[in-house]
Amino acid sequence: MSSACNFEGCTVGETGSCALERDPETCANRVGNEVATPGDPAVVPSEASGGGGSFAIGAPVLERPAGMSSFPSSRTLGPDAISRMMASRYVTVVGILGDPESGKTACLASIYLMISNAKLDGWRFADSKSLMAFEDIARGAREWDQGNPPQQMTVHTELSDERRPGFLHLRLVRDADGRRFDLALPDLPGEWTTELVGTSRTDRFEFLKAAEAIWIVVDGRTLENKERRQSVVLRVGQLAGRLDAMFDGKVPKLMLVVTHRDSGELSQAVTDRLSAELAKRSMSATVIPVASFSDDDDQAKPGFGLGELIAATTTSTLPPVDFWPPSDPPNGARSYTGYRGDR
Amino acid sequence: MSRSIVLLGGPDSGKTNYVGRVWPALDAGTGSLHAAVQVEDIRFVLEVTDHLNSGSFAPRSEHADERRDFEVVVASEKGGEQTNIVIPDISGELWHHAAEQGEVTAELMTEMHSADGAMLFVRVLSEAHVQPLNWVTSKKLLAKLGNAEDKGMPTQVMLCELLRFLEASLSQRMGGEPPRVSIAVTAWDLVDPGTFEKGPKAWLEKEYPIFAGRLEDIAEIELRVFGISVVGGDLKSDAECREDVQENGLDGRGWVAVEDETGRWRKDGDLTLPIAWAVGT
Repeated sequence: MSSACNFEGCTVGETGSCALERDPETCANRVGNEVATPGDPAVVPSEASGGGGSFAIGAPVLERPAGMSSFPSSRTLGPDAISRMMASRYVTVVGILGDPESGKTACLASIYLMISNAKLDGWRFADSKSLMAFEDIARGAREWDQGNPPQQMTVHTELSDERRPGFLHLRLVRDADGRRFDLALPDLPGEWTTELVGTSRTDRFEFLKAAEAIWIVVDGRTLENKERRQSVVLRVGQLAGRLDAMFDGKVPKLMLVVTHRDSGELSQAVTDRLSAELAKRSMSATVIPVASFSDDDDQAKPGFGLGELIAATTTSTLPPVDFWPPSDPPNGARSYTGYRGDR
Repeated sequence: MSRSIVLLGGPDSGKTNYVGRVWPALDAGTGSLHAAVQVEDIRFVLEVTDHLNSGSFAPRSEHADERRDFEVVVASEKGGEQTNIVIPDISGELWHHAAEQGEVTAELMTEMHSADGAMLFVRVLSEAHVQPLNWVTSKKLLAKLGNAEDKGMPTQVMLCELLRFLEASLSQRMGGEPPRVSIAVTAWDLVDPGTFEKGPKAWLEKEYPIFAGRLEDIAEIELRVFGISVVGGDLKSDAECREDVQENGLDGRGWVAVEDETGRWRKDGDLTLPIAWAVGT
């Protein structure tokens, strides 16, 4: 029984029509329609029904809010979205590792700025399934929760105020041959890398197994700082060791992305030291100095080295294969006679 | 048969003025499309046409109180197949908001799903144009310096998002053909002859590199770029053009820049072309 009707199981309040096929306006069971007997407390119209009188009884109390429909989001993509994409086309997954504050996010932001201002030499933009995520990152609009970084990759694309670890997608066209490359660049908190080095927590890095290249992002200023240099080099070595164990010795190509090129060039001694550390585990890496932003345009322009980084990521390390090599018989080789002679 | 096309574009992108100009063109019946039956409610288009006839562009429509849709039955030839075109009048602000939030009202979503064509507007030298972020601004934003002048979502990102919405919502045309979207670059009379010759596509590549790249990389939608000038001049600054409109009316004024088979861009007096192509008549 609803408050508007004395009949048990009245449906007018919910469906707007009476199951007994009576007109709610005149039905005697309805509270407002009862013949009023003075002094009967049931007949006193309640305050809630207000000024609407009997007309408002049973009518919706609130206006229906204007419903909004959402389009699929273009923020960070989850691993399953990347898998679906990989099912339909070749996607180059890149692993981006590096301690907090090493400049991973700045690198991603600068790549986006380069491409949105058509400044990335040799490359043009074709598509991005995570355009809003790039926009947010370049804007610094979303931050990792300080001291309490998220523990998991984003499960599926969602609209949230919090920054979620997940992939950024970028499809680029190479000017030289018009070939399209799909890059899946993960945006992860640096704490994940720190934990990987410190406690060998590899469960969150399952996606790396599909990676074609791994960027280890290192702050160039710490490498130039004599007090911190050796410990940074040691950590890079430890990280390489973890990767070696994770991949069972078959590590994809490694790239050491040394950021903050604008504060000075990396000395040869440091590069040698890094190579020596990796060589201990019989690994090697290409060192690519970059400047995502720049305080000193004479040293390096903003976006320095990023084109090279993308080029190095997308170029295969395998020697070029001559597809369908020419098989014309050399003149006078007498192949047929030779063949018969072998029988 | 009722089909609809959606007109969309950010604030100050030239949608309203185009609708106001295209109605007299449809009514005159000289173009590739003409109005097949008298339209019941033409208050909205008449108002815009009044503005144009008086020698000024219509003011930006986000100040309008309510949505006024314009519905017209068109045909490509007398007695030929009739198509009902519904042009929902949605303010540019609303589209801008939609791109930022990734959502539209349920009602508009239904309309977009039932449409099989669209016109996406972008205006040359628009007051509402927002440059993409650069390193200086972005660095300040990243460092939370607080004094960076954040102008909001860059125009090219908004255009890409709107295109993505169309990709996700438009229905296929008859016979399973992909939906068509006309990209309308309005105020195309403002560009210099050199830019005109290269065409609006080249202009988009220069001004909106991301959007132009996206246009090249879309499979689910058929696209074509048009340059549009509704009255063939700037009513605000070109006194000669204004006087001519006031004197002789809109007939014969305005053109659409189309690319011919040889790749050259020429002016065509038929203002209904972008709609005609989108509906595929």
